[in-house]
Amino acid sequence: MTRRTLSAIVGSRLHGERRSTAFACVTAAIVGFIQPHGVSPLSDPLTADVATRSVWLAGPVFFCSAIGIALALAQGPGRHAYLDIAERSAPLFGRELARAKALAPAIAATLAALVYWSAQFLSGFAAPPTFFILALASVFASTLVALNATLRSGAQRLLYVGLAFATSAIAYILAVYADSVASRTGDALGVATELIFCAIVGFISLRQYGEALARSDAMSS
Amino acid sequence: MHVLRMLDARYAPRGETIVAPATFDVAPGEHVARVCATAAEAQALAMMGAALVKPTSGIVLIGEYDPRVQPVHCKRIAAFVPHDPLPLPEMSVDHFIDYRAALWDIDTERARAHAQILLDRLSGLHEAFAYPIVAALLGCPSLLVLDRPQPFFAKKILAAAGPCAVFSTHLDAAAAFEFSAKLEAVHA
Repeated sequence: MTRRTLSAIVGSRLHGERRSTAFACVTAAIVGFIQPHGVSPLSDPLTADVATRSVWLAGPVFFCSAIGIALALAQGPGRHAYLDIAERSAPLFGRELARAKALAPAIAATLAALVYWSAQFLSGFAAPPTFFILALASVFASTLVALNATLRSGAQRLLYVGLAFATSAIAYILAVYADSVASRTGDALGVATELIFCAIVGFISLRQYGEALARSDAMSS
Repeated sequence: MHVLRMLDARYAPRGETIVAPATFDVAPGEHVARVCATAAEAQALAMMGAALVKPTSGIVLIGEYDPRVQPVHCKRIAAFVPHDPLPLPEMSVDHFIDYRAALWDIDTERARAHAQILLDRLSGLHEAFAYPIVAALLGCPSLLVLDRPQPFFAKKILAAAGPCAVFSTHLDAAAAFEFSAKLEAVHA
């Protein structure tokens, strides 16, 4: 797949979902502003660290992942039938098409996460950049898992949506609580485990999406 | 040598038969029209001919390639035109041509020039119906597959297709006759 083909698919998908993306960014801005950031005073530094993480990461991870899942589901067949049929008619392998189609909701969700982070920053409770990276990793992983739901129906579809939410929940637990298990390692353990988990889940999901896209046909999906 | 060959090709997702076993050949440059009982059958059969739907059983060969094994090769040979018109408010026509050219990795200027020639041949046909045909022909396929095309414009569509083989599905014999019987008239 050439870069031109990739940008054509991503560009047309983003253009098709421009209203959804704008809506996601606006809601991200609102939630970023109103999200509570305050943490009760705690004497134990480890408990205070965990409490800070749990409060500051909850909003971006869960809300931005939900946005990523919604934007991924919007990529499903039917919403833009002319794009679906054009992409499927094109001489592209399933894995190539999967990568291009996954990039569109990932970019849109990244934009929403950036808006959320900006809103947090402007409201005076800006989380450190590491938190943004942690939230973004969770958004990518859950978005890629949710893309698999677009090619399925019924219980399987619900299962993948559930798995996408479970991915963000596990990512959040790892980011917040992994350090508390081994306090000597500082923040590195929490950051590393969450990033590794999201990378593995994202990679497997993207591969699976490509396989499913290659197997599915234009009428059944 | 056939550009499309179906041997007992059947499409029955989840046990529900949509396309009963179909057997026919399309030779290079030939125009073949087939009458189907339902819209779903017409769509599925056309999509099988363009490697967009894999047969549940039987054999489909597009230019000697099996869509189940080499779908990308098949899609370079066969181009599909859907029954539904292009939703023009969603995508401008120029953007649509550029988009299709990018998908097939065709030079943009060449694609636009080719599109203009094809549009001249299709003059009179509504843009929403003309542009999908133009877009399908941009990649210079050997086979044009039409899902329930407009019979009124059969002559123009076949003229635009030129030497390309055309396989079309229809819901009534009169419409199918327009696409298969006008072959001589178009090329005369």
